[in-house]
Formats: sequence, structure tokens, C-alpha cells
Amino acid sequence: MKLSELVSKIGGRILTHANKATEVDIQRIYAGDTISEILNAASNTTLLVTNMSHNLLPRIAQLMDVPAICLVNGAVPGSDTLTLAEQRGTILVISPVDLFETCGRLYLCFDGSFKPSP
Amino acid sequence: MTTGSHEIRGGDYVHGGSASSSLKESLKKIGVEPADIRRAMIAAYEAEMNVVIHAHNGRMHYVIEDGRLEVEVIDEGPGIPDIDQAMQEGFSTAPPEARDFGFGAGMGLPNIKKNTDRLAIESLVGQGTQVRFTVFLRSQGETGASRTALKIISQACTGCLNCLRVCPTGALRVRNNRPIVLEHLCINCPACVQACTTGALRMATTESEPKARKGACLVVSDSFLTQFGPGISTQQVIKVLSEMGFSELHILEEWKKALRKACILYARENTRLRPVISPLCVAVVNLIQTRFPSLLPHLAPFLSPVEAVRSELGSRALVLSVTCPCQYAAALASASCKDIDVVSVVGLRGAVMRRLATLPREPQHAVEDKPIQAAPADSPSLLEVSGIRHVLRVLEEVENGLLGDVDVLEPCSCDQGCFGSPLFPEDAFVSRHRLAQGHVPQDPLAKAVERTTPLTARPGMRLDADMSQAIDKLARIDALHKALPGTNCGLCGAPSCLAFAEDVVMGRADRRDCARGPHDTERTP
Repeated sequence: MKLSELVSKIGGRILTHANKATEVDIQRIYAGDTISEILNAASNTTLLVTNMSHNLLPRIAQLMDVPAICLVNGAVPGSDTLTLAEQRGTILVISPVDLFETCGRLYLCFDGSFKPSP
Repeated sequence: MTTGSHEIRGGDYVHGGSASSSLKESLKKIGVEPADIRRAMIAAYEAEMNVVIHAHNGRMHYVIEDGRLEVEVIDEGPGIPDIDQAMQEGFSTAPPEARDFGFGAGMGLPNIKKNTDRLAIESLVGQGTQVRFTVFLRSQGETGASRTALKIISQACTGCLNCLRVCPTGALRVRNNRPIVLEHLCINCPACVQACTTGALRMATTESEPKARKGACLVVSDSFLTQFGPGISTQQVIKVLSEMGFSELHILEEWKKALRKACILYARENTRLRPVISPLCVAVVNLIQTRFPSLLPHLAPFLSPVEAVRSELGSRALVLSVTCPCQYAAALASASCKDIDVVSVVGLRGAVMRRLATLPREPQHAVEDKPIQAAPADSPSLLEVSGIRHVLRVLEEVENGLLGDVDVLEPCSCDQGCFGSPLFPEDAFVSRHRLAQGHVPQDPLAKAVERTTPLTARPGMRLDADMSQAIDKLARIDALHKALPGTNCGLCGAPSCLAFAEDVVMGRADRRDCARGPHDTERTP
């Protein structure tokens, strides 16, 4: 799914490189809070979702060719993180709700194949 | 060769990763396969950030050469008291500051191990830690043969042009007595190695003797056993090999037999395409990918014997004695080579000869009466074809649908299969005859391994990614070819006038390199 479409579906907004979002194709989503796991999960068609919001994220995204990172709780990251993301070409997405809700929304828009047992 | 060296400042989280970024740029410039860059980045970043998190300062030094990336990360810091413990998933000594950044999951060193082909960690408490790892690299878009497994020694080249004429895919060029291999066409068969009389073209392995070590398995080709003359039996050779200090000895013949059985069974169950082609010889598989991609569906979906051995025994340390460049490339090609040493038969033969010199001669005698077995009524028709010229002609026949009466085709690029490798001193027919007299013990581990990733045609053959450009280029090649003398003299450095025409249109050669034939300007009488 196109990133721009995904973001608008979950009610998020794009903070950096919004013009690129219409060309980025997301085929996979991974949510995690440790660097080692997001390194392993990263790919050029993966959207990373995380509780973290520090200024190491843009460099990691550039290193692993991750097109976009989704931050949660509606919290806009610090200006250093924003600047680094601009410089390194990383699309930063902000979701207005918490991690659980964000993942839930993404899942419904993206996959939705899981049905809870009756 | 590309190298780089970068300082790493302990505690500097913001700049941590800059060394890895610089390494990434070098890898991208060389055109390394993205999957290999990814593995290298995970390992490099984890290693670099370990220095930032735990040490006072450090340095990353890397060397990219021969299709390998070697990285060394050395630091001055507290050191690791128990490396085994540090390798455990979940174990971490990261300080709170690191955890704020998402580090400290205890997956750093395991991550490095998972994404590299070799890893060595040394540490001294109170002084520092040294992490060294290797990642084998492929070029972007490579399939099958990861690199040409040939070593070129230009100083030995006399410009005889023998190699140009024997290469089955026209992959060689000779310019100013310097042989050049076009990697997208090279199938790693030993034809040029065999044709070269001065040693300018060789296999890339060293010829030194392999070092025996406990815990390592030695893998040799069956054809190796008969390279010692009429006075030495195969049993004696096997005995000497078994006593060289390796834990296990495996002989490829058993694996070839397992593959043959699997191909026959596959042919029985899949009756649509005939013939089923056995992937016995890696060079032939490469040839099909390069020149006969329409025959890819005919290939039985198994690994070649060398690849099967690597797949089945890969958890052990392996010392593989290979008889040709294609086996060399197959043994090393992969994202997870683990602990594999590839040696040429020349060195191993030398080691065996020395030990045999101390033993009494024991000529080959038939081990047991081997009755000539009549083929059972429903046995499939199996055709062995060896020698690259024959293989080329037969594959063309298969393409033209003329070999539908054959159930299984076993093509090998060397005469009589691996017996005909140019690295062997003994004649192929003699060697094969001796093995038939001898006895090879059964190998319970030998089996045919199914191929999990399908084979694809080599992309390098395309003239242009754009269809209309490609058609235009084809027309220009055709026109130029008609204007050339058509003698295939080789003086331009290309094996044929057609190859030269393609070289010119693709920008690899200058039109004026053709010393003969009509030029645009008037010919001098």
C-alpha cells in the first residue's frame, strides 16, 4: 500500500519528506522498541513503528534503507531528530494514539486477516 | 581492494554509526548485492555501537577484496570477562543511558553472528575488545556463480589465444597479452584453464596443502582416488586420507549416486518434460542459465553434489577439495558459508603422495566380483554426456526437441565427468577405469538435497534494459558483423567477429581494434 494512503487511513500525519510518501510502497510493518530487533526487521519496504523517538532513528533508517518510521502518542520529536530526518531523507510519521491503538489501526488497514476464535 | 578506517568515540550516541555509514557508501559504490549490504550493516552497526555503549574509544577498520568484506572493530574499554556469556541472547551489561536509546536488549553479539559468515572475538578485561568478522559479498544481480573462480596471471600470457577458442560462452578476451574474463558470460568451467599452456589462467585456490584439524570434515572427489598410478589402490588412498587428522572423510561419488537416484525418481514422477537434466555439473547449470535459459524447467530441482555436501554438513567445519572453478564458486557462494575451506587437489595430492612414499605398493585388485548387471526392464534411459563441446551440441538438440527419447541427461563439462579435470595428472579414461575396479565405502549421510531457491536466467545477457534500445543494438551488431572479415582470427582480442561486433556496440571495444578487413577509410594497398 502507498505510505500516503496508509497514513491518512490511520489518522496520522507526516512530518518530513511528505512529498516522497506518495511514491513509497509499504509491504510490511514492524513494531518494536529495541535497536537490535528493528535492525533485523528493517527493509526498504518496511514501515517501522516504535515508542522510541530519539535522534538515532534517522541514521538507523538511512543505514538500513527504511523509508519511514511511525512515532506514537502524538508526540512530535525534538528538533534535532527532525533535522536529521530531513537531512537523511527519512519520512517521519506521527500517530495521534498510543502504540497499541496505532498497531491496531495499521493492522486493520493493512492485513486484517486474523479473526479471533469464537 | 577498498579499505577504510574510522574512529569511534565512546559515549557519543549521536555520531555512533558514522563508520558504518561510510562502509555502506563503499559497498554501494562497488555494486554489492543489497542483501549482502544489509547483513554487513547490521553487523557493523552493532559492533560500532558496542564501542559507543561500553568502551572509552575505538576504531573500525575494513578491507573489501576478492568478494569478501573483512571488518575489525577494536576498542579500549572494560573488555568482556566471559565471551560465551556475552553471546547469549538477552544478556547485556549496557548502562541505563544506552537503554534509553533502545540498546541493551542483549542481542548485539548474537545479531553480528547471525549476519556474518565468520566471527572472532578476543578480549582482555581492563584493556579492551577486538571483534573481527567476514561477510562474503556478491555483486548486484548475480545468480549462481558468485564470482568467477579464475585467477589470471597476465605476466605468463603469451597471446596464443588458445583460451579464446575453447571458451563455450565466448567469455574471454585477450588484449595486449592480458586475458580478461567477462563475468556475466563466464560459467566457471575449466576449459580455459585446460587450454592455457603457460599457466596464465588458473583456478583461484591456493595450491598449498590443506591443514588437517580435529573437528573438520575432508571432502574429496572420487576421481581424486585414482590419481596415484597403477601401483596404488583406491583403498590405500582412502586409508591415507582417513589418517591425515580430519574427523570425517566424505567422498563425492556417494553423493553423485544419490543425485542420480533422485533424478531418476523425479523423471518417473514428472513425465511431461523430456529429458530431465541432472544438475551434476555446476558449470553446466551456469551454462544453461547463460545460454539456454529455455531449458531451466528441464533441470531436476536438486543441488549439485558439492552444494549438497555443503548444505548437509554445513554445521561442521569443512575442507573441500575441488576439481574445478565451478565447484570452487559453488562451495563458497552463499550467504552462510560458515566454516568452509576450499583447497585445490594439487596440494592435497602432494600431501597424500608424501605419505604414500612410506607405504609399500599395493596395486589395485578387484575387491569383489562385480557382476555385470543387466538393466531391469523398466529402467529409465539415462544419457551421460561429457566434454563441453558435446554438451553444447546436445543442449542445442534438447532445445530443438530432438532428445525426447532420453529420460535423464547427465551433462558434465569435463571429459568423463570430473575425471577429466585439468588439475588431474591422470588421463580421464584411465582414471575412470581404475575407479570402477576399486571400492568406495558407503556414506550414510549422502543424499540428494532439494533446491529451495529456483534458478533464474542470468540477466547479464540482455543488450539493454529497454526493449527498443536492445532491438536497435541488435541491428547495429548485425550490420557491423556483416562488415567484418568473418575469419574469427582473434587478433582483436575477441573469440569471433560476432563477439567483437557486440563488444563494439556495447562499448567494450573500439572499431579500430580490428586489424583486418574493410575500414571506413580507404584501404592501403
